[in-house]
Amino acid sequence: MSCKLPDKLRTTVVGSYPYFPEALKAFQLRRRGDRGPEYEALVREATKKAIMDYLDAGIDILADGEQRREDMAVFFAEELDGFEISEPVRIFDNVYFRKPVIAGRIGWRREILVEDWKYASSISAGKPVKVTITGPYTMYSWSFDKFYGSMRNAILDLAESFRKEIEALVRAGATFIQIDEPALSTRAEKMDVLIAGEAFEIMFKGLSNVKRITHICYGKLERLFPEILDFPIDQYDFETKNRNYELLSLLREYSFDKELALGVIDVHSSRIEPVEEIMEGIARGLELLPPEKLYIKPDCGLKRLKREVALEKLRNMVEAARRAREMLA
Amino acid sequence: MRLHAGICGSFPRPQALRKAFDDLSEGKISDGEFKNVLRECILEVARLQEKAGMTILTSGLLSWHDLFRPFTMGLDGLEAGRLIRFFDNNFYYRCPTITGRILWRGPVTVDEVQEVRRNTRELVKAIIPGPYTFLKLSENRFYASEDQLLDDLIEALRAEVNSLRGSADLIQVDEPSLVDPELGRSERLKGIEVVNEFLSRLGMPENEVIIATYFNLDPERYAMLLDLRAGLHVDLRSTPAEADLALKEHGFDGQILSLGVIDSRSIYPEDPREIVYRVRAYLDSISPDVLIFSTSSWLDYIPYNEAVRRLDALGRVLAEAEVRFL
Repeated sequence: MSCKLPDKLRTTVVGSYPYFPEALKAFQLRRRGDRGPEYEALVREATKKAIMDYLDAGIDILADGEQRREDMAVFFAEELDGFEISEPVRIFDNVYFRKPVIAGRIGWRREILVEDWKYASSISAGKPVKVTITGPYTMYSWSFDKFYGSMRNAILDLAESFRKEIEALVRAGATFIQIDEPALSTRAEKMDVLIAGEAFEIMFKGLSNVKRITHICYGKLERLFPEILDFPIDQYDFETKNRNYELLSLLREYSFDKELALGVIDVHSSRIEPVEEIMEGIARGLELLPPEKLYIKPDCGLKRLKREVALEKLRNMVEAARRAREMLA
Repeated sequence: MRLHAGICGSFPRPQALRKAFDDLSEGKISDGEFKNVLRECILEVARLQEKAGMTILTSGLLSWHDLFRPFTMGLDGLEAGRLIRFFDNNFYYRCPTITGRILWRGPVTVDEVQEVRRNTRELVKAIIPGPYTFLKLSENRFYASEDQLLDDLIEALRAEVNSLRGSADLIQVDEPSLVDPELGRSERLKGIEVVNEFLSRLGMPENEVIIATYFNLDPERYAMLLDLRAGLHVDLRSTPAEADLALKEHGFDGQILSLGVIDSRSIYPEDPREIVYRVRAYLDSISPDVLIFSTSSWLDYIPYNEAVRRLDALGRVLAEAEVRFL
């Protein structure tokens, strides 16, 4: 069963959704090494609730809400060969996390996301479900390396591993694949951008019938230009609302004409943006691109918001896109 | 040339202290019980430093949540604000928010330094945030004049240093903003002026104060640092090629040079012999009275067990250098 999507100003999400109690319980089991039937049932229940909320809000292109992932880097590190998990490292105050450690050659062991994607797609009312993968540059940046001693070699091995995962997903029928690279904008020396570009070539080159997406946020996005425009990417998913859409001027400077997923919701604020305010953001995007190339979505994942706030923000976003479509018609 | 070794600043918190912080915030232990755990952990980290062969010890800054927090909480006129990424690290500090006149009301960090002083015969180094970095990374909601803000901030930090002088042999003033690539040359020049003003108000001998920079050294920024009237700590690991060029091009003829030779943000194994071999190549262009081998920056970016390994590697660098250089 497939669902007809609007041909203009499609709405989507970046990936994560606030964790449901079932997900939090599943994390506890996972930390104890218990990934049995109870764990799987909890993850499925949490995923189902996230999908239902996305459907309730009226989102066109969904994600599974990343209810299985307590941390976007640790989750993949636990699934790939070559990684260990460190002792706690401080992030701020007295808050710590266990950072992945690259302790051997990185390799793809088995399908990581295929079953979750199949499940999410089976309950998505025919709407497409986007797959989100933490990108090689971010995986490397958020890990310790005590094996390679070379950022490029490690990143390229990560890209080869994810290529295998992407191929498995495409075989299963996934058509929207998003590589999340939030770390790319935090440092982003030119050399780093070029290495990330090599990784995208490995992951995405030659794929057909797939929307190849990258999500990058919160940093010095401008440093990625113009090199990033040469990556084999169909859709660029950026955080724009948080920086008052300043990025659009830069995109105009480079005559950007690919698809843009425009962030119109601030995910670090619990304030519910009124529909009219979101419509103003959409109007800013329409000054740059035709509505067929503009996707409407929050700046980033929603996991840090309360569920009620996230849902309300999404409802307003969908309503704003609907009204904007009406105005265009 | 005398050789020394000592970490740049902090050491990761031992597990017992992490738990004590949580217990304190949940009301499970009293302030007194917390202070006992803190004291024991400071001694544990001091013993680790001695055992690894450090000749300059710090308290490990174990109670510090970030570079500014003890001062944000300990000086008048400041509050801890929103979380902000600390340079390019996956580590965040609470932005010092200036809400009133900045005034020193009593010693902020003296207790922890005295704790080390009482328990070691090695040199003891105290650390404070520098006025320029404090200014650049804080949010001013009170002062109409930046000059007045700086005047009060410098005075407060000076008072803190005065209170440390009986306990610490060396004062390290952390000024990572002096090499921040986001700041233009004129801003960095102003930073040098601010720090020199601070140094002149301190009135301490050049061989008792070290200005510490980390993360973003390059030849141009390094050349500006040479105008500081104090010892210098530089990070040789974050931008190794640029830092190498900086030292070879501009040399160093001050009294104290602290080289961040051990990468404090990585756990990739270090090779002390190779490090000494690399430093040896600088000896034609640097001639300090005191050369300190150190970590590139604070050790908060790696886990405790890995920091212990880094400490051991630093001790081996000193031992190797004593054989090769002296």
